[in-house]
Amino acid sequence: MRVLVRTFSELCITVGALIVLFVVYVLYWTGVRADSAMDGQLDELRDRWARDSVDDAPTTDGPPDEPLPYKDGKAFAVMYIPRFGFTWNKPVLQGTGTDVLKKGLGHYASTARLGQKGNFAVAGHRRTYGDPFKDVPELRPNDPVILTDGTTWFTYRVDRRPYRTLPDDVGVIDPVPRGSGFDGPGRYLTLTTCEPEWGHSHRLIVWARLDATQPVEAGKPAALRR
Amino acid sequence: MYGWIWRHLPGNAWVRAVISLVLVLAVVYVLFQYVFPWAEPLLPFNDVTVDGQ
Repeated sequence: MRVLVRTFSELCITVGALIVLFVVYVLYWTGVRADSAMDGQLDELRDRWARDSVDDAPTTDGPPDEPLPYKDGKAFAVMYIPRFGFTWNKPVLQGTGTDVLKKGLGHYASTARLGQKGNFAVAGHRRTYGDPFKDVPELRPNDPVILTDGTTWFTYRVDRRPYRTLPDDVGVIDPVPRGSGFDGPGRYLTLTTCEPEWGHSHRLIVWARLDATQPVEAGKPAALRR
Repeated sequence: MYGWIWRHLPGNAWVRAVISLVLVLAVVYVLFQYVFPWAEPLLPFNDVTVDGQ
């Protein structure tokens, strides 16, 4: 009898310790891993851009290059949102799979390319894995969302306050997003993340429209300068 | 359970304490490296897209 009680209490303590460890993993360790993965992606991207800009210089003959398709799971752009803090910058990767979202923000593969006509839609974690989109509810109309693909700066401006919708509302990433109030084709940006913060019953959506572009040679856009 | 493990470890109390510590660290490593990454997607924090991927 005593052995039984003792074993049972040891099991309870073990389960309790397991749960505490799991909470530490979800709240803290995923963030540590994601931050280092995102830093790695940013470094890789900047290296690649530095190499490309050296390679590209002399090739002027022939028709202008058709842009290469984004490679699945690879970073192709960096996003800056001054509202989230001046040091906030995250890599944008192609695809929205679970593994991709551990390394940065994910571009919906079915949506438009960065800066092109249509809707450039990006998903990101609100909580865990570095909490990249934690402050999405703080976005307000006219807030800049700035992206660069290594050759051009794209400045999008948030159109309206974050919009709450259901998880199967695929229309929000349509070329002319449903529910956004945009009335015709244009160059749009959509951010999606989960809502509520720790749940998955809804999604939080933010729409923006392209406001300005400039080549990287022209320096950072005004919204990124202090 | 833990008493049983303790009794079956070799050496004196110090050696057993060191081995226990190593065992605990090994268990935590396996949990963080393999078990938790498998269990975490079962929680709702990964659902950030609108197309159910």
